Amino acid sequence: MKILIVEDEAKTGDYLRQGLAEAGFTVDLVRNGVDGMHEGLSGDHDLLILDVNLPGLDGWQVLKALRAAGRELPVLFLTARDQVEDRVRGLELGADDYLVKPFAFSELLARVRTLLRRGRVREAETLALADLQLDVLKRRASRAGRRIDLTAKEFALLELFLRRPGEVLSRSYIASQVWDMNFASDTNVVEVAIRRLRAKVDDEFTPRLIHTLRGMGYVMEIR
Amino acid sequence: MTGWRHSITLRLALAFALLAALVFAALGIYLSRSADRHMAELDAHELLGKLALARHAGGNERSPAALAARLGDALVGEHGVIVAVDSEKGAIFAWPDAGKARALVQASAAVGETPLPLEVAGRDYRAAAGAIHTGWGEEARVVVARDIRHHTDFLDQMRRDFWLAVLAAALLTAGAGLLVARRGLLPVRAIAQAAGRISAGRLDERIPEHDVPAELDELVSAFNAMLGRLEESFRRLSDFSADLAHELRTPIHTLRMQTEVSLGKPRSVDEYRDLLASSLEEYERLSRIIGDMLFLAKAEHGLVSPGQETIALRGLCRRLVEYYGILAEDIGLELRGDEAAIPGDRLMLERAIGNLLVNAIQHTPSGGRIVLAIAREAERAVIIVSNSGPAIPPEALGRIFDRFVRLNQESEGSGLGLAIARSIVHAHHGTIAVRTGERTTEFVIGLPLRVAR
Repeated sequence: MKILIVEDEAKTGDYLRQGLAEAGFTVDLVRNGVDGMHEGLSGDHDLLILDVNLPGLDGWQVLKALRAAGRELPVLFLTARDQVEDRVRGLELGADDYLVKPFAFSELLARVRTLLRRGRVREAETLALADLQLDVLKRRASRAGRRIDLTAKEFALLELFLRRPGEVLSRSYIASQVWDMNFASDTNVVEVAIRRLRAKVDDEFTPRLIHTLRGMGYVMEIR
Repeated sequence: MTGWRHSITLRLALAFALLAALVFAALGIYLSRSADRHMAELDAHELLGKLALARHAGGNERSPAALAARLGDALVGEHGVIVAVDSEKGAIFAWPDAGKARALVQASAAVGETPLPLEVAGRDYRAAAGAIHTGWGEEARVVVARDIRHHTDFLDQMRRDFWLAVLAAALLTAGAGLLVARRGLLPVRAIAQAAGRISAGRLDERIPEHDVPAELDELVSAFNAMLGRLEESFRRLSDFSADLAHELRTPIHTLRMQTEVSLGKPRSVDEYRDLLASSLEEYERLSRIIGDMLFLAKAEHGLVSPGQETIALRGLCRRLVEYYGILAEDIGLELRGDEAAIPGDRLMLERAIGNLLVNAIQHTPSGGRIVLAIAREAERAVIIVSNSGPAIPPEALGRIFDRFVRLNQESEGSGLGLAIARSIVHAHHGTIAVRTGERTTEFVIGLPLRVAR
């Protein structure tokens, strides 16, 4: 998967590139709007990450030019200003998603993956990792053949992990996906919820599947 | 060029002058008219007297010579008077001489018993004429005229004097108006000076309201009220900066210390990883504080405009109870009440009510109980978050919605939750209040059911 980043702030751009490359993407980075437009028009990228404040052409103009030329690649825009008008404008111009700086890198990664996955694969009806199994339609979970009773939200949380194996999920991402809570909160609701889920699906089993990445969030994988 | 338009003093002075000139001119015209009329009446009186005399004498005397002698006697000492008595046979009497009398008779053919102005030999007269039946049986005509030159001279002089007086009055009132207006506008100058003394550092300056003229009262109190509001916003702004600096200093200090100490000697990869993770947590805290502070700052300046979608409060509250209920492990958390739909911003209302729930959870002892209740009133929806627990101390009650107030010192929160809740409620034109008793504390939000205009 090839991603184009248009970001003029040097450090941000470099780390975005490094982070996405280490997550397995092929990444091109340009540092102004004009280059961004050329690359976007001529390249074969699958996704564009676009900063709004750019020297020369700003993000809106780049986006407009791309859409006018019929380039339909998904666009995720980054803005430093959390203004409703900004968001509305971006989405009206044909952006697919947005993030307000400062954001967690894991959040960006999750959004990027969602955008790239969109409309590509049919969501699986049964999910499994190691000896953990989830039947999405029947709302059943089991591990090592033992049935596990989960509340609706615990089930949704486990499903989210199983659909994203190996991906770091930040607390705010989890809160928004499972509970539809979309504002930054300084409570530890997600921590408590994960602790309870672990008690049911991890504590009595090996290997452990849910891991904590301090400061970043949680990941489900076989280590 | 437009200076005069903008100078109240000058305009007042000119208006005064114009007014004085108009009044004096009107008065002058009136007086000169009455003087005119009065003089005419005096002349008429005299002329008619002379006419009556001539008639009386003419009726009594038996010969023209006797009439002439009698009239001559009666007119002795009269100056500026012409009298002529003519019969068909010729002149009977002429005063003061025949030449003048003839001129008068020639000029007065159209004159009757009503006195009329008449020019005789280049001079202004007033004249009247009448018929006489003489004692000797003849029909005669008598014409009398009065020289009115000294009257017209007097009137002309009076008019000249009057125009001078009008001019003088205009100039005088203009000058007086200038002085009065300037004096009257002194308080305005005082206001300007007070305004000039005001600067960011001296916003406590006020214009004294006690010795201000009634007309300027409103201006001065409006001005002072404006200063009050400015001072208040300015104070809030500086408090905001001070709070922000203080709150940011702590996490930055932590970051700096741990980074410096860690770099002090070589460490294992795990230790570095720990350091970075710890830093990340502090960064997250920093960005949350900044985000929250920005939200509050925008809200305080009315820059937060909530969306107006229809929000079903019960569904929203149920999701909040479900989410935050995870934190309330040994606390009973219950949702009660009816459905109520209000116009508002879902994200913001979730945040406001969520903050109240978190606050309640933090202050409820284990085994306690929290109720989130929704009620519908005529004009508004009421959301009540009540929790069991000790009362809020009275000294904290007044500032409970202020920034960075943490009643519970060990609390992890930023101390912005209730301030943000209040801002959001106010942005929705709602009300928020707190009631505290010995066993329960209640936060009550009222939100209008219809879009406030």
